[in-house]
Amino acid sequence: MTRQPMIDEWYPVGLVSKLSTTGQDTMLMGQPVHVALGNGGEPLVTAQSRRFPVISRFGHVWTSLGEPKKDLFAIPEAYQPGRRFVDVGVVRVRCSPLRAVENFLDIAHFPFVHTDILGAEPHTEVQRYEVEIREREDEVWATKIHFYQPQAAKSAEGGITTEYMYRVPAPTCSILYKTCPPRPGEWDVITLFVQPLGEELCDVWPWMALFDDTTPMVDLIHFQQLIFLQDRSILENQMPRLLPLDPAMEIPTRADMTSVAYRRWLKRHNYTYGAQLVAQ
Amino acid sequence: MKLYDYVLSPSCYKIRLLAALVGVELTLRPVDFHPGGEHRGPELLALNPAGAIPILEDDDVLLTESSAMLVYIASRAAPEWLGDGSAREGARIQQWLSFSHRLTATLGSARLHEMLLRPGDIRGLQSAGKQALRELEAALTEQRLSDVEFLVCDHPTIADIACFPYVALAPDGGISLEPYPSIRLWQRAIRALQHFIEMPGIHRLHELRPAPVRPEQGA
Amino acid sequence: MDLATLAWKIEGMFPNALCQWVPVALSVDVPAATVSPGWLPGLELALWRSAAGHIAASSNRCPHRGMRLSHGFVRGENLSCIYHGWSFGPDGGCVRIPAHPDMTPPATINSQNKAVLEAGGIVWVCDSNPKSPPPDFHGLVPVRSLTIEASLAALEAAARAVADGKGLLAATIDGVRIHMALAPLAGPQLLAHVLVAADSTCEDRIAASRAAEAFRRMAEAMSPESAAA
Repeated sequence: MTRQPMIDEWYPVGLVSKLSTTGQDTMLMGQPVHVALGNGGEPLVTAQSRRFPVISRFGHVWTSLGEPKKDLFAIPEAYQPGRRFVDVGVVRVRCSPLRAVENFLDIAHFPFVHTDILGAEPHTEVQRYEVEIREREDEVWATKIHFYQPQAAKSAEGGITTEYMYRVPAPTCSILYKTCPPRPGEWDVITLFVQPLGEELCDVWPWMALFDDTTPMVDLIHFQQLIFLQDRSILENQMPRLLPLDPAMEIPTRADMTSVAYRRWLKRHNYTYGAQLVAQ
Repeated sequence: MKLYDYVLSPSCYKIRLLAALVGVELTLRPVDFHPGGEHRGPELLALNPAGAIPILEDDDVLLTESSAMLVYIASRAAPEWLGDGSAREGARIQQWLSFSHRLTATLGSARLHEMLLRPGDIRGLQSAGKQALRELEAALTEQRLSDVEFLVCDHPTIADIACFPYVALAPDGGISLEPYPSIRLWQRAIRALQHFIEMPGIHRLHELRPAPVRPEQGA
Repeated sequence: MDLATLAWKIEGMFPNALCQWVPVALSVDVPAATVSPGWLPGLELALWRSAAGHIAASSNRCPHRGMRLSHGFVRGENLSCIYHGWSFGPDGGCVRIPAHPDMTPPATINSQNKAVLEAGGIVWVCDSNPKSPPPDFHGLVPVRSLTIEASLAALEAAARAVADGKGLLAATIDGVRIHMALAPLAGPQLLAHVLVAADSTCEDRIAASRAAEAFRRMAEAMSPESAAA
């Protein structure tokens, strides 16, 4: 069997703010690992005699089981002055890590799954938007997405048409740039970092960098947890659990252009941990 | 009334749900249960040394058990949710309020384990949860055979509200609801009640509203 | 006993669902404008009844993103997926894709409906062209369905009887006589539709429901699969 290229990617394995010297046992792509705070205050990710590379960024501890060929992606916007960082916390989901990302890239489900918050009937139409695989960055980008949202953010009052941009810089991570109601012209940054425990089990670590000086932190956390938990029962009831890369398995429409590009990009790189290649 | 609340807590949701159904306004005080663990911090431990939510405050009344909160809200605003006052209905409501704690201990603990990574013997919790669901299914089946839609009588009571949330969210803990037709129809009857509110994991009953018709389609 | 039932008993499941009606649910458990899960050997179903009362059995998988349709909702004469609201008519054809309200969905998008009919208060489903009607449980009416985590052999041992040619197993528990129409589920479990004499009173039916619970305890205790669990 050929080496799975996803082994060389960076993955989140814990919140920096929750690290302790006793540490936590977790799993990464089937490999048990221990995440703890070292004596010098540095994060350590280990398994018996092995010690894995570590990066602390975006509120999370990141590691890799392989030999990362590049640094963890950057989110320059997140470090604009005035943003608040929100550690939403972990939620475990019995689904493929790739299914979790694909769901995050989807807007057509808002009226039915996030009813009266991120969408509502009759505003179900998905207008044409732009999708590309940016060759230089090697990332999937979807831009110029517009959607009517009854309550786009905790800070939103009343319905607005929101603009979205999605970015997939790594096979199990996605970043959403979203119209920022208190600061027109700027983008809120909402991310989904997925830790693949196995091919059909993942820990999801949402994280946000927002322009919002007024909403209490706990409300920001709860808003995002509410949204993600509405998705969880969907993710646990998709069949098969693995993301099918065989085009015959699932039928996309124009609204699914981001997902089509994501699947194509996964296939191109042989990022198939959590994917089903041939229909069964 | 002030409720110390967590959006993902089925026990907190019981209180929000009953308050919504009977038209009682709650002031919500969100608690950073996960990931913050605020319920184990000094401010909340002073209110509830058990380190649990929900907590309900109303003037000099301080309650830390969800079943007591249901009784309190119903007594204040909607006594019909406490049954007809007969020994039979009163006792049956108590029976289900007590039973609901088994749901919390089994289905609820399995959910915390599977979703928020809390410790626990997951197989044991799932097996005990399934046992509780079978008992509920048997009871609801007998009610249906007698043409009664709810747990205690032909209208909903706090017994239904006490049991509904952990049952509806059992799949979050890896416990299937598919084998239980009577539970399925009972849940649907509760979700169809006027002023029903959802929590994450319980979707809107979209069928209660007609499909939107686009104006141009009518032409 | 017909050959199919005999083979089912030997294999512990339906050998050939291709020409066999399977009792998947009680009619009363799928009221108008609802959807519920159902099973054929190796295939999950979404059983649903339209507002007008038409019963249908779809594959339990939305062709769009694989979501279980049994989590969906029934509006009027269509079943909709909870994920993106894709709607399917009684023949399985996709009638609406909300993300593209002006588009007529291609005829190829289909929820793969199976043959279904109702008889004797039971919903029967068949995976292909049925050659004969489902068995007639004359004089019996259904009370409830329940899942039993035991093999057919354990059920028969508990009943001290064998299933007849119609797939019916009779048992007497503490003086209460019940009949069970059996259907296979995934793994070592069976779906039992409990039936009683048509002239039974409400009290008789409740007694039958309790007898079925007691029977399940016995059968599961005798089943090696549950003993191991």
